[in-house]
Amino acid sequence: MPRTRRYQAYENTPVEIELKRRAARCLWCLAVILLIILLLLAFRYAPNRPVTYANIVDHFKYGSIGSDMENGLPLRIMKVLPRMFSEYLPPGSPQDYTAFGFIQEKGKEMPIGFSIRRRIIDLVGLNCAACHVGLVRASIQSEPKVYLGMPADTVDLLAFFDFLFQCAADSRFTPEKILPEIEKDGYLLPTDRYIYTIAITEMRAGLLARKAQLDVFLTPGHPRFGPGRVDTFNPYKVNQFAQWYRQGIPQIEQVGTADFPSIWNQKVREGMHLHWDGNNTSLRERNFSAAFGAGATRENVDEQAIDRVQKWVETLPPPAYPFARTNDPKLLARGKAIYDRYCFACHDIHGQYVGQVLPLAEIRTDEHRLNSYTQKLRDLQLAYGQGYDWQFKHFIKTNGYANVPLDGIWARAPYLHNGSVPTLQDLLTPAERRADRLLYQEGKTGGARSIFYVGHGVYDPKNVGFRIDVKEVDGRRSFAYDITQTGNSNKGHTGQRYGTELSDSDKWALIEYLKTL
Amino acid sequence: MVFNTLFQPLKFRSFTVKNRIFRSSISGRFDNYDGSGNQARINWEVKFARGSVGAIISSYVPVNIRGRIMPNYATIDDDDKIPFWQAVGRAVHQYDCRYILQLSHSGRQQDIPGVENEFERSLSSTDRVEGFHGLISRFMTIEEIEQTIDDFAEGARRAQEAGLDGVELHGANGYLITQFLSSAINTRKDKYGGSLENRARFVRQIVKAIRKKVGHNFHLQMKISAMDYNNALFFWEKRGTTLEDSIQVCKWLVEDGVDAIHVSAGNMFPHPRNPMGDFPIEHAVRWYDVMLSSGIYTHRNYLFFRNSLLKPIFKYLWLRSEERPENIEGANTPQARAIRESIRSIDDTVPVICTGGFQTASKICHVIEQGYCDAVSIARPLIANNNMVNGYFAQGREIPQEKRCTYCNKCLLNVLENPLGCYELSRYDGDYKAMIHEVMSVYHPRPCYITDGHHSQHTVDTNISSVIGGDDAEDA
Repeated sequence: MPRTRRYQAYENTPVEIELKRRAARCLWCLAVILLIILLLLAFRYAPNRPVTYANIVDHFKYGSIGSDMENGLPLRIMKVLPRMFSEYLPPGSPQDYTAFGFIQEKGKEMPIGFSIRRRIIDLVGLNCAACHVGLVRASIQSEPKVYLGMPADTVDLLAFFDFLFQCAADSRFTPEKILPEIEKDGYLLPTDRYIYTIAITEMRAGLLARKAQLDVFLTPGHPRFGPGRVDTFNPYKVNQFAQWYRQGIPQIEQVGTADFPSIWNQKVREGMHLHWDGNNTSLRERNFSAAFGAGATRENVDEQAIDRVQKWVETLPPPAYPFARTNDPKLLARGKAIYDRYCFACHDIHGQYVGQVLPLAEIRTDEHRLNSYTQKLRDLQLAYGQGYDWQFKHFIKTNGYANVPLDGIWARAPYLHNGSVPTLQDLLTPAERRADRLLYQEGKTGGARSIFYVGHGVYDPKNVGFRIDVKEVDGRRSFAYDITQTGNSNKGHTGQRYGTELSDSDKWALIEYLKTL
Repeated sequence: MVFNTLFQPLKFRSFTVKNRIFRSSISGRFDNYDGSGNQARINWEVKFARGSVGAIISSYVPVNIRGRIMPNYATIDDDDKIPFWQAVGRAVHQYDCRYILQLSHSGRQQDIPGVENEFERSLSSTDRVEGFHGLISRFMTIEEIEQTIDDFAEGARRAQEAGLDGVELHGANGYLITQFLSSAINTRKDKYGGSLENRARFVRQIVKAIRKKVGHNFHLQMKISAMDYNNALFFWEKRGTTLEDSIQVCKWLVEDGVDAIHVSAGNMFPHPRNPMGDFPIEHAVRWYDVMLSSGIYTHRNYLFFRNSLLKPIFKYLWLRSEERPENIEGANTPQARAIRESIRSIDDTVPVICTGGFQTASKICHVIEQGYCDAVSIARPLIANNNMVNGYFAQGREIPQEKRCTYCNKCLLNVLENPLGCYELSRYDGDYKAMIHEVMSVYHPRPCYITDGHHSQHTVDTNISSVIGGDDAEDA
């Protein structure tokens, strides 16, 4: 027997061998337990995965487009903010995000338009539905009816962000104050407490940084977006392209507020000039551009999720007019004849000029939205996507506003690109007389204001649009849209060619016909 | 008062014991490491012989080195040990005291294996880890079983050749024979495990082998744990061997030619029910350390002994199945009586000896008169009072309360590292020096020293050289 083997028998006593065997077994057990703990933790924290939905409608309403990654906000913190900082909510509104016009469905953690992603903790982000699901009420008292793809007529995005910024700036936005509030909604594991402690600090820093970027839109002189509107392109200049706008946004470009568009029936729009100023002819590029506006980044934008939405909205039909309308074939025929004569060429899907840009000199609507999009921004956008599948190639700088099809036009009020005209009837009124029907208000700093109330969803079936006089619904105050503010002008789209010179009976006949679109 | 019953001679088949008091098997680590005996052992046994006990059952005597519980216990594994045991026998016989050698094998219950056994798994009827210390063992092969049976028989032959009066098989308290008998320990699947008949096969083969070797006139008795009480410490364990099992085993053994039955309890040692009494944790803290490398649970136990939060848990577990102190004396007598009554139907000449805390003459007389047993064996109370018989009982007196054994079991814990003796300071009126002096008395007289083949001068009767040399000199 070799020496070494002979010695091996005398290296360990049976007790030592057994202890080693058990120690090894213990180590294995510990390793297995550790592995199980790690797996549980990994299962709990590691997946970077959004909540997904098999149903396309749910996907549209709650699915992720990637905005819940880099710019995602912790769900459980978001849920306590309206409770903790109710003084920053619009006065009298409920202590949740419906205060900003978001639509909350029963059993859902967040309103329509918010996706949820598990990335260590649950994060929320905005999606397409935040700006493209609207609601309509028959009266102040009646229950709202929700329309997918309709402009989010009640959602005040800027007020929502302003609320978050005010919370972040508050001295109570600390782990010590927020964690106990979170725990009122449910127990936090020690690991969760630790993570949320970091998350609260990070969220605060992130929101304050974002506030600094968006301050330009929140300064008192800057017209508020109000419900149903957003500045589509200026945020790019202070966020993604901030280094090229170190001097700030030039004065002439600063107001680019635009009405949310509807997003149904998209297939027929492929190739048309999209966006109000018609700066892009690609549906897909338009969609990705909107996703970046909602908070997605070029690294995280979820192409598949967006394409899935696109496929659906390509054929999503516009909603039928839900109120009483004439069945008189004569009247409708008369309306159609007027439509064919005045509207068809520019606004019918088969029209000669639909989807084309009408120079500002001709349309003469408010110029600010057009001016907000510049050649410089266009060049930056094209460079932004280099190397990515979705790279922008179709953006152009235009000189006017695009002619849009009128499908579901009843649900797209208020009208014109800046939402400055409450109803179709107003739109068929000569521009200089459009303010006559509006409400007169003394301005806070002197001077007269012509206003109408928006964001309440109460419909005016006679004039076809939202009522101008509803100040409050369910405790939530409406927003007074002031046409005298920069970018809010209701001018343009006026004159014989635009039907504003028609007789009243012709106008009513045309309006009856438009209800059928 | 006269305790006549106590002093009735007890007749075995091959010899008669002068009274009914047996010194039960107990000893300290007095002997040489290699199992050869020395003077201290003789001194130890003579203490009791001089105190007039009728017979002494030697301490645990391993039949081979593999089967010892710890080093420094004299063994009977080789013929070269015969002269020593002869010396022990002669020294004890001088006091008209009989000497019965306890043939033993530790099996897995090896408290300190010693360097000879250090790298071997101990042999047993199971390969399961023992529950208290975590002692490691393996199944014996058939060859090893046969060899061990032969070692027992050889041990008996050597005892006979040494002129001793008889042998006792240590089939109690968790040692190898118990490991085979116990339904809670034995996990063999062959003819030595399973049914009671199979579990008893090992001890019955030993008895037959011994009888074959020493004939029928050499005294052979069996010490048996009447009940395992396997769940006494760990309540979740099974109960183990029952009294009914033990009765059957005893009947078989009597049929096989065993001359007496010695009744004890418990299937490990120490056991909450043997030796009964307190568990002196402060002494365990001091002396249990010597066993730390012996088992896989010893560190756990030591932690329980040392940690003040865990200590009460251990105390509770250990003491929960104890008898109350006033019931310790004679606690095994009900089982002894059951066995006695059963075996008398086979052979009414086979006496039953019962152990368990005896130290009052009246109690001993009572249990014998009432037929619980024929004699009693005593260990701890005799350590406390070596002169129990001739100093008190023979004079018609009970031991005064303050001198009685308190069942503190300090002797039990000290034996791991110190000379065996009574370490209950209260029995010495708090005189620590007196206690140590008494404990150390086992080393007197001193052994003789052989230098250049010449014996040093010694004239004491129990001196090993004089006894081995056959020089039965009287006390000087």
